[in-house]
Amino acid sequence: MKKIYLGIDVGSVSTNLIAFASPEEMLASVYLRTYGQPIQAIQEGLKQIVTLLGKAEVAGVGVTGSGRALAAVMTGADVVKNEITAHAVAASFVVPDVQTVVEIGGQDSKLIILRQGVVTDFAMNTVCAAGTGSFLDQQAARIGISIEEFGPQALKAKNPVRIAGRCAVFAESDMIHKQQQGHSLEDILAGLCEALVRNYLNNVGKGKEILAPVVFQGGVAANAGMCQAFNRALNIEVIVPKQYNVMGAFGAALLAREAKLESSSFRGFELIDRHFSSNGFDCQGCANRCEVVEFREGERVLARWGDRCGKWSNAVAV
Amino acid sequence: MKNKKLRLGLPRALFYYYYAPWWETFWQALGVEVVVSPPTNKEIMDLGVSLAVAEACLPVKIYYGHTAWLAGQVDVLFVPRLVSVEKKSFICPKLMGLPDMLRAAVKPCPPIIDTVINCVRQPQEGLAAAVEDMAGRVGFRGREVQSAREAAQERYLCWLERQQMGRANGATDLTSASAAGAAVSETGKPGLIDSAPAQAGSLKVGLVGHAYLIHDRFLSMDIPAKVKKMGGEITLPENLPPDQIALACRQLPKRLFWTLGQKIMGSVLSLIEQDSIAGIIHLTAFGCGPDSLVGDLAERYARRRGTPFLLLTIDEHTGEAGVNTRLEAFMDMLPRRYSA
Amino acid sequence: MKVTFPHMGNVWVILKTFLAGMGLEVIVPPPCTRRTLEIGVRQAPESACLPLKVNLGNFLEAKSLGADTIVMAGGVGPCRIGYYAQIQREILQDMGCDYEMIVLEPPDVHLSEVWDKLKYLKRRPWRKVLQGFILAWYKACAVDALEQEVMALRPLEAKPGLVDALYRKAILQIDAAGSKRQLRKIVRETVAEMVALPRQREYPILRIGVVGEIYTVLEPMVNLNLEKRLGAMGVEVVRKLFISRWINDNLFKGILPLPSHHAEKLAPPFLNHFVGGHGWESVGDTVAFARQGLDGVIQLAPLTCMPEIVAHSVMPAVQQATGLPVMTIYLDEQTGEAGLQTRLEAFFDMLQWQKGKRTG
Repeated sequence: MKKIYLGIDVGSVSTNLIAFASPEEMLASVYLRTYGQPIQAIQEGLKQIVTLLGKAEVAGVGVTGSGRALAAVMTGADVVKNEITAHAVAASFVVPDVQTVVEIGGQDSKLIILRQGVVTDFAMNTVCAAGTGSFLDQQAARIGISIEEFGPQALKAKNPVRIAGRCAVFAESDMIHKQQQGHSLEDILAGLCEALVRNYLNNVGKGKEILAPVVFQGGVAANAGMCQAFNRALNIEVIVPKQYNVMGAFGAALLAREAKLESSSFRGFELIDRHFSSNGFDCQGCANRCEVVEFREGERVLARWGDRCGKWSNAVAV
Repeated sequence: MKNKKLRLGLPRALFYYYYAPWWETFWQALGVEVVVSPPTNKEIMDLGVSLAVAEACLPVKIYYGHTAWLAGQVDVLFVPRLVSVEKKSFICPKLMGLPDMLRAAVKPCPPIIDTVINCVRQPQEGLAAAVEDMAGRVGFRGREVQSAREAAQERYLCWLERQQMGRANGATDLTSASAAGAAVSETGKPGLIDSAPAQAGSLKVGLVGHAYLIHDRFLSMDIPAKVKKMGGEITLPENLPPDQIALACRQLPKRLFWTLGQKIMGSVLSLIEQDSIAGIIHLTAFGCGPDSLVGDLAERYARRRGTPFLLLTIDEHTGEAGVNTRLEAFMDMLPRRYSA
Repeated sequence: MKVTFPHMGNVWVILKTFLAGMGLEVIVPPPCTRRTLEIGVRQAPESACLPLKVNLGNFLEAKSLGADTIVMAGGVGPCRIGYYAQIQREILQDMGCDYEMIVLEPPDVHLSEVWDKLKYLKRRPWRKVLQGFILAWYKACAVDALEQEVMALRPLEAKPGLVDALYRKAILQIDAAGSKRQLRKIVRETVAEMVALPRQREYPILRIGVVGEIYTVLEPMVNLNLEKRLGAMGVEVVRKLFISRWINDNLFKGILPLPSHHAEKLAPPFLNHFVGGHGWESVGDTVAFARQGLDGVIQLAPLTCMPEIVAHSVMPAVQQATGLPVMTIYLDEQTGEAGLQTRLEAFFDMLQWQKGKRTG
C-alpha cells in the first residue's frame, strides 16, 4: 500500500484536494465547488481521492484556506496553515528560485514576495471581489460566453479598451457603457483583463518589488487573457505551474511532509460516511452576543469557535 | 550656485492652485529657473497612483505623479511643508508629511526644499521665517529676498482679486516661464474657468471643492464646463469675498480648524442664504479626511435650508460616464424644483 | 444630569471614576459590540473615520439607558477628532436624539473655556473632584500595569484564555475599587495568579510591536482582538500606547516620570514633523522597536486616517533602514475576521522564517 500525503484547501469558492506519495508525482488532484457547504465538499473530495487511489495509507494531512479550522477538526489534520504560507511553499517547490507569487482565486487575491526562498513581504485583498475569479465568471456569463472561451477571445483583441472601476460594480457599469459604444467583444474582454491586472498591481501590488521569476497561480491563471495582461504590465513572462489551481492544497501537503511525522493524526477515510453538522447560535452571556459555531459529529460536539471570551471554545477539548 | 541657473521643480498639484503666482514670482525674482510640471494627464496620474499608498486621497497621489515627473529634470524640488497658512488653522496632516512621504517613494529623489510654513500661532513671524528659509536654501538673504517677496505678494494679491471677479482660475492663466508650458484648453484659452454671467435664464449653481480638484481639468473631468453646457452658471469659493466666507462660518458652534474646510463650509453657508442659488455641487476626493466631515456638515445645513446638494466623489477609478449621468440628472431636476 | 461618554478599550473605568468624582450620575454605555458599530455606521457619514462611527453607536446605546449628557474629548486640529463632537451633535439633532454635549479640549481663545465647562459639570467641592481625579489616575496606572502583564503572559500560557479570564475579572475589581491600596492589591494578586498559570513555553516565539492610531490600538472590538489573536500564536505584543501615558503626554505635557514616545528624537529622518494624531509617534515607536530587537511591527489605523497614512507612506524607508518588517492594517466596518487572521498568521510565518534565517 502506498503512503500518501494529503493536502486540502477549503476556500469560499472552491475546495481542492491533492494527494502524492512524493511531491514530484501528483497521484490525485480534485477541484470542487464549495457552494457554501465545506463539510460536504471535503467529504466529496475525499471520496474522489479514494475512488482514484483506493484506501491508501495516509502519512500526513495538511489543511489550508479560509475553512481550515473546520477542515482540521473534521479530518484530524497534522498541519494547519494559512493560505499565504501554503501558496509560497508550493510555488517555491515548483520554481525553486521564485521571487514573486501572484495568486488570484475565486474570491481573493494575494501577492507574495520571496527572496532566497524566504517570504519577505506579502499583501492580500480580501474585501473587494473585483479582479478575482468570481467577477470574471460573472462577466463571462453576462456577455454570454463560457469562462473557457474568455481567455482565447481576449487574446484576439487588437485594441483593448480602457475600463475604469475600483470595484466590481463600477467596472461592470463602465463595461456596459463601452459595449454600448460599439467596441468589439475581444477588445472589451482584453480591456477587462488589463483593468483587473492594473487594479491588482495598484492595490495588492502597491509598493512591492516584483522581480522575476513570477509564478502566477490560482483559478484565474487558466485565463490566457489574464496571463497576457500580466506579461505586458510587468514586462516579465509569468510562469503558470501545471497544478496552478490546486497550489494551496499542494503547499499544505508539502508542509505536512516537511513536518516529518511519526504517524498522522488523520481520522481515516471512514469520515466520508460519518455525519457532520455545524450550526451557529448567539451566545447570550454578555452584550457581545458572539455568534458561536458548534461543529458536531453525530451528537458529539467536536469543536466550537467564534466566541471572544473563550467560554465555549475552551469548553471542548479536541 | 549663482553662476549656473538653478532648476527648481514646482509640481502642478495641490497648493500650486492656491499659491502659484506667489511661488513662481518669488523664485524667478531670485534668478531661479522654475520648472512647472505639465497639467495632470493620464501618465502623471498613473505614475502617482503607482507610487503612493493606496489609501491616500487622489490629489496626494497626483502630487506624487507630478513630483516623479519632475524628479529627473530638476536640481531641486520645492515641496513646502504646509502646516498652517493662517492663525489657528491647519491644512491637513498629509500636507504636513508630504516631503517625507515623497522621499520614501520617489527614487531617485532630488533634494527637496521642504520649508515649514507654519502660521498657526504668529502668522507674520511664521511667514517671515518661511520666506527666509526658502531663500536661504538657495543662498540668498537680505534685500534681494525682501524685494522678491514684495514682488511675489503684489502679483499674488492682483491674482486673488481677478479670481474673485471670476476672471482667473487656479494659477493656470499665468504665463508661466516654465518649459513645461501652460495648460491650453480646447478653446485655446489657458484653462480659464469663466464664471462670468451666462445667458439669461441660466441656473445659478454653487460649485464647491478644493481648488486643486476643481481647477485641475483632468481630475475634475472639466465639471465646470459641463455644468455650463447644461445651462448652469457657476459660483466658486474663489469668487466669494474671503470676509463673507469667514462671516458665514461664525454661525458654526465651533470654529473649523481646517483652512480649506472653512472655505467650503463658508461658501456653502453663504450660498444657501442666496435665493438665487438653485443648487450646490460639492466635488470631493475619495479619502479626503476633512471633507468627510465638513462635506457632511455642509450637506446637512443645505438640506435643512431646502437647497439641493449633489456630492460628487472622485478617485482614480471614477468613470466619466457615471459623473456625467449624475450631473445631468441633478441639473435636470433643478429647474423643476427651483420654479416650483 | 446623567452623563455618558464614548468607549475606548478600558478607558471607561477611568472616565467613570473621574465623572463620579465630580458628583455626577454616570451611565457607562453598553460594551462595544458589532451592533454598536452597525448602528453607528448607519448614521455616520460614509467616509468618516471609524472611531466617530463607533462613538455614535455608543451614544445611541447609552441613550436607551437614560443618558442625557455626553462628555467627550475634542481637539483643535489637524486630526479629525477635533470635529467629531460637532458632527455627532448635528447627526443626533437630525435624528431627533436629544443630548447635551460637553467637549473637553484645549481652549480656542481663553483658558476659562475649560474651567467653565468643569464648573458647569461639578456637583461636589473641588477637593472631592480632585480626589476623584487622582483615583482615576491610579486606576489608569493599574489598568496599564495589568495590560502589560497580559501581553507578556498570553503567549506562554498552556491553555489560551485563562490569562484573559483573570484580566477581565481584575478590570471589574479595579472598577469597584475605592483606594490606591485596594488597586495595588488587585494588581499584585492578579499578576501572581497569572504568573502561576501552567505554561507551554518559557519564552514567546516572537515579539511584535503594535503602533498606530490610539483608538484602533486600544479598542479590541475594532481591531478584532488583535492582541489576543497574536498571544494565542505565541507572540508577545509590545506597545507604547497606554492610556496612562496618553493622559501624561496630552494632559500634563509629559511632566510625570513615565516612559514616553520621543517621536521628535526617533522619527527623523523618516518623518521630520508632527502630523497630527499619532502619526509621528507611530514612526518613532517603530524605530524604537527596531532598536529593541523586536521581530516585526504591526501598524493599525482606521481607514482614511490622515496621520497614519503619512506614517504608512514613510514606513518603507523605515523598513529599509532598520530591516524590521512592518505590516499596516487599516480597519473599518468591512474588516473581516478571516482575512485578518490569515494576514496575522502569514506575517507570523514570515517573521519566524526570517528569524530562523538570522539565527541559524
